[in-house]
Amino acid sequence: MNAHLRRTFYLFVAGFVGLVVMLAYWQVYQREALANNPQNGFQTQRSISSPRGLILARDGETVLAQSEKRRGISGPIYERSYPGGAAFTGVVGYWSTKYGATGIEIGRNSDLSSVAGDPETVDDLINRATGGPQPGNNVILTLDPELQQLAYEALSETVTARGSAMAIDPKTGEILALATYPSFDANNIDENLPELSQRSDAPLINRATQSLYPPGSTFKVITSAAALKAGVQPSDTFFDPGYLDTPGYRVTNYQNRDFGTVTFAAALAFSINVIFAKIAINEVGAQLLYETATDFGFGDPYDDFPLLVAGSDLGYPVEEWVEGNTAQISFGQDRVFSNVFEMGLVAATIANDGTMMEPRIVKSVRSPDGIILDQPAPSVRRRVLDPATANTLNAMMQNVIVTGQLTEAEIPGVKVAGKTGTAEAPPREPHSWFISFAPADDPKIAVAVMVENGGEIGPQGDAATPAIPIAQDLMETYLKNEGG
Amino acid sequence: MTQRATTPMILALLVTTLGFATLIFVQEAASPPLIYGAYYAGTLFVLYLGVRLLLPHSDVLLLPLVTLLTGIGLVMIFRLTYNVEGVQNLATTQALWILIGSGAMFILVLFFRNYHRLFDYKYLFAFAGVFLIASTFTPLGYEVNGARLWVDLGPVNFQPSEFARIALIVFFAGYLAEKRDLLAATSRSFLGIQIPAIKYFGPVALVWAASLGLLVFEKDLGSSLLFFAVPLLMLYAATGRIAYVLLGGILFSLGSLVTFLLFDHVQVRVQAWLDPWQDPDGTGFQILQSIFNIADGGLLGTGLGAGFAQTIPEVETDFVFSAIASELGLLGATAVLLAFLIFVYRGTKIALLAEDDASKLLVYGLTAMFALQTLVIVGGVTKAIPLTGITLPFVSYGGSSVVGNFILTGLLLLVSEKAGRREAEGRAYQESDWRAS
Repeated sequence: MNAHLRRTFYLFVAGFVGLVVMLAYWQVYQREALANNPQNGFQTQRSISSPRGLILARDGETVLAQSEKRRGISGPIYERSYPGGAAFTGVVGYWSTKYGATGIEIGRNSDLSSVAGDPETVDDLINRATGGPQPGNNVILTLDPELQQLAYEALSETVTARGSAMAIDPKTGEILALATYPSFDANNIDENLPELSQRSDAPLINRATQSLYPPGSTFKVITSAAALKAGVQPSDTFFDPGYLDTPGYRVTNYQNRDFGTVTFAAALAFSINVIFAKIAINEVGAQLLYETATDFGFGDPYDDFPLLVAGSDLGYPVEEWVEGNTAQISFGQDRVFSNVFEMGLVAATIANDGTMMEPRIVKSVRSPDGIILDQPAPSVRRRVLDPATANTLNAMMQNVIVTGQLTEAEIPGVKVAGKTGTAEAPPREPHSWFISFAPADDPKIAVAVMVENGGEIGPQGDAATPAIPIAQDLMETYLKNEGG
Repeated sequence: MTQRATTPMILALLVTTLGFATLIFVQEAASPPLIYGAYYAGTLFVLYLGVRLLLPHSDVLLLPLVTLLTGIGLVMIFRLTYNVEGVQNLATTQALWILIGSGAMFILVLFFRNYHRLFDYKYLFAFAGVFLIASTFTPLGYEVNGARLWVDLGPVNFQPSEFARIALIVFFAGYLAEKRDLLAATSRSFLGIQIPAIKYFGPVALVWAASLGLLVFEKDLGSSLLFFAVPLLMLYAATGRIAYVLLGGILFSLGSLVTFLLFDHVQVRVQAWLDPWQDPDGTGFQILQSIFNIADGGLLGTGLGAGFAQTIPEVETDFVFSAIASELGLLGATAVLLAFLIFVYRGTKIALLAEDDASKLLVYGLTAMFALQTLVIVGGVTKAIPLTGITLPFVSYGGSSVVGNFILTGLLLLVSEKAGRREAEGRAYQESDWRAS
């Protein structure tokens, strides 16, 4: 009988071996395929079964995104909430298991998510070794919560209620505000997204970084920089007959005015298209204008920046520029496109003695228990102008406020430098732009504001400039807070 | 068989302790698991010492294996039900069942050291077995998930088939040991297959058919499979005639076909096995969730408490192995299977060493049932074979199953004590013989 017992025992052994083979088939061979099967919700579930890190404003206290614990069917799950509301959504973004993620939520996902990367602290290591829910790291932004809120609300009160604003510390490259309007509340995004995506005013688009608009006359600061490099002095005089004919294109001034003989400085102050076209064609030349604009960041990618940035563009490669192009490009029309993010950098570069700092929106990354894991130091992105040229341009931009009598831009006791823009966007009203920085003698904040189709033409033919008071408000508020 | 095995016993308890310690850490569970863990560890350690004392020559590895498997089961049940509304007490209930099982085993070991008496009442056992199965057809019986497996006895509900199996194996062992020569000597043959004499085969066939028929109508597919295969294996072991196995195979095919055609629930099970994707949210849901969870574990597992096995319906009973494979990975699941295989190995060894046929057949029948049950349920949850709802011995939640398996282990221990003592006496005899010369 023993032989029979042994024989069946071998049968059982074979059965057990078969089970191990079956397990290996699922757990090794089929693992990937099953994990990615659409019926398999584990990847999503895993992403909500441990808390993501916080997103905080620059004060390290204002919470912009947090994971809230809730009881799920199988253990606790975490839901993302956004106490900052719609004002911050453009930067913070949303994290949805249904619709993916945007903004910092995806741009710094490897910090915020709880499963990525090697353990960075002992607590983290212990947590992972025991398989516990591992909270992600906290991301502290450079955003000034008050300024961000202010920019958002100011944009909401404009005529068209569409626009964007950006404020930056020119010396460090830290972005203080990056607002877009209309925006949306990222809480309950799963329910609201389908409706938001249908809306004609496109609240899902971050106008500050993802959209491109003609910068109009704000581009003249770049043309001015090129002219200064070419040897033109602010006191040099030019004659404006009211128009300039180039092959195939006639340049005229705003409201078809003619200014006669004016200095270069006055040409900037009064934003005289004809003179800028003349200077661009005769003094600067396509090549230098192109190079200067490129130095100021036109055409740059921002791949390292955690938010999606649509690259500004000059429209054509320089070899194809004819005089008509050069003329229009000199005042930011034709096919020149940019946004407040990049024009804000232009203002900041002039403010910072011609040195463009690397723009930063993340101030630091900290572990849940507060240990600093990453705190990037300010770094130079590019030296665009030599300090002397930059200071001359700075003075010219201060002159824009004083001579141009832009009283709305003035801040009591503080020198302001700036440049307006009314960018044609036919068939609709022009976009209203303003780039500026203050205090001009020791810049602490640079600002770019754009109100989409906000340059409504009044009965006298002059356009409203709603961008100016918004920029002024941002600078004044920031300086007041900084000054103590 | 007389070595001490305190180290494996302590290791098994340490594994359980480690499991609970991890869960306290991960699930932020409060102290209850510690207290129940301590009760559990104390119970099994006392049981181990008691058995060592009463049956000093018995197999030493069986109880450490039982400790390991019940411990892993308890950890998994706690992990799967902690803080889950409606089932949060299952782990403590299971701990209670382990206590009751230990008590039953201790009583068995204490009073039935002369287990041969059991074979004298083999017909009573046959009757008791069939009666137990039939009891679910009385008004006390009730259905759960479409299968009529349960009997409500006021304070306790139990699954009589878990105990009926053991009773029937006692009967088959006693009967076959008595008649094995007569069954092996066949008189007639049909189509080249030798047919045993109806006179001797009759009682076996009768009990077999009665129990099987009842179970099929109770829609208890898992038990039906076991009740079909185990007596067949015992018959083969007793007679060595492959004819029984062939005949069984034919009967099995016929029976499977008939049940497949007759019963919707069998068709659903087979369909869910062949193509669960056809209805992934319905009939295929359970097996797909099981497969997803197993695959999610990978080589090393997600870690205790980090898997999603709670998505599987019935995870703490039939599908507990999927949770183990998910959280402990291929390595952990293989280790658990190895523990089962060692149990089967020790059982087979006891059968080999047992002195009389009835003891051999009893131990073999119980071991084969244990092995088949493990193979069938693990094969089912890994989609190797169609799913049949039975428990994973010692690991799955379930009072009847736990107590039944403790009784099963107790019987193995009793037989091993006898074989062990004989071996020890033989050795002592040889030694004295050697000294004398």
